[in-house]
Amino acid sequence: MIKNRQTTVSCIVVLVFGLFLFYTGTDGFTAYTAETARVTKLVEEQPQFPQVTFEDSEGRTYSISEFEGKYVFITFIYTGCTTICIKLEENMSEVYDRLPGEYIGKDIIFLSISFDPGNDDPATLNKYKDLFGSDGETWRMARIPDQDQLGTLLRKFGVIVIPDGYGNFAHNSAFYLVDRQGALVDVMDFTKVKEAADNLKETLKADRGK
Amino acid sequence: MNQFLLGLVLFIGLMLPPVANLMESVMIIHMHMQMPMLVIAGFFMGQFFQQRFPHFFSKYNQDGIPGIFLFIIIMGYWMLPRTMDEALTVNSVELFKFISLPFLAGVPLRDSWKKLSKNRKNYTIAFFTVIFLGMGWLYIQANDQLCNNYLVNDQIILGWGFITMAISMLVYLVYTAVVDPSLYE
Repeated sequence: MIKNRQTTVSCIVVLVFGLFLFYTGTDGFTAYTAETARVTKLVEEQPQFPQVTFEDSEGRTYSISEFEGKYVFITFIYTGCTTICIKLEENMSEVYDRLPGEYIGKDIIFLSISFDPGNDDPATLNKYKDLFGSDGETWRMARIPDQDQLGTLLRKFGVIVIPDGYGNFAHNSAFYLVDRQGALVDVMDFTKVKEAADNLKETLKADRGK
Repeated sequence: MNQFLLGLVLFIGLMLPPVANLMESVMIIHMHMQMPMLVIAGFFMGQFFQQRFPHFFSKYNQDGIPGIFLFIIIMGYWMLPRTMDEALTVNSVELFKFISLPFLAGVPLRDSWKKLSKNRKNYTIAFFTVIFLGMGWLYIQANDQLCNNYLVNDQIILGWGFITMAISMLVYLVYTAVVDPSLYE
């Protein structure tokens, strides 16, 4: 098939280049979608939770320092969502139930953040939270009224939200874990509830042992 | 030389930010129009390089095989969901797209295609038919968003675009296998 030396050489060069290209382009054959790459990068970089002002389902306003000294388990949602957010919140509620009660509220707070502040006012969030058995205290639902602050947070945590033109949003979903100092330490697959819960238990246990 | 200019104008036209943004806003246009047009631009410009460096091409791409490999690699690379996403969010990836598709896919395709035997051409087409069927299936059945910058609906449309192209290539392959054109000449 290959007739002369130059052709062999150029074939090898091309194939090596191809291998190199695919290797670097997929982080060593691990990340074929930008989502996988994003999660890997986030966990490596551990960005700090930015300064934002929340307004929760009770109408209280506070910043992330409200949760200082506690882990925060976070999801990003909007209440008008009829598909993935419901699954996401159901799974979050399952993680909540799976965790031993001793940790909840003391070592960890659950927080659902709405990225649709225009529609998700405290009253709406309050209704929404009841659907999933959130108590509004150890599991809070809040919006970030300031668009700039919201944008900064979404960008930092790599949440990409695109309006689909019909009042809905497409967005990537995951469980986010922020540690006691406010740094993002883990991004978990929200479809693997048991894994996420076990993971969380481990982290909390190890942390208490310190 | 005229062909080179045509290719260059096409290339520059595609790079203009409003044009690029518009084409990239729709997933299927991004993959099945912008990217192939970049290859076509390179294909046109290729003549210039062939005339300028005839020795290089005849020496290192004697039978067209290395060139077609390079073409396949570059095309395959840009079919990954991730690269398409990152072309939109990472500037260096976008730049690489505009360089690699014309110069590392279009130019070698031009030089190689004429040198390939009929069988090898058909193997190449058959290879892309299989890949397109695979990619089509991937994009249609995936309920998750594979690309963060595009909606699932766009993704399904893209999947069917792949399948449609695969069917067209299949029709061509069957045609070349079954019909003997010399009977009709």
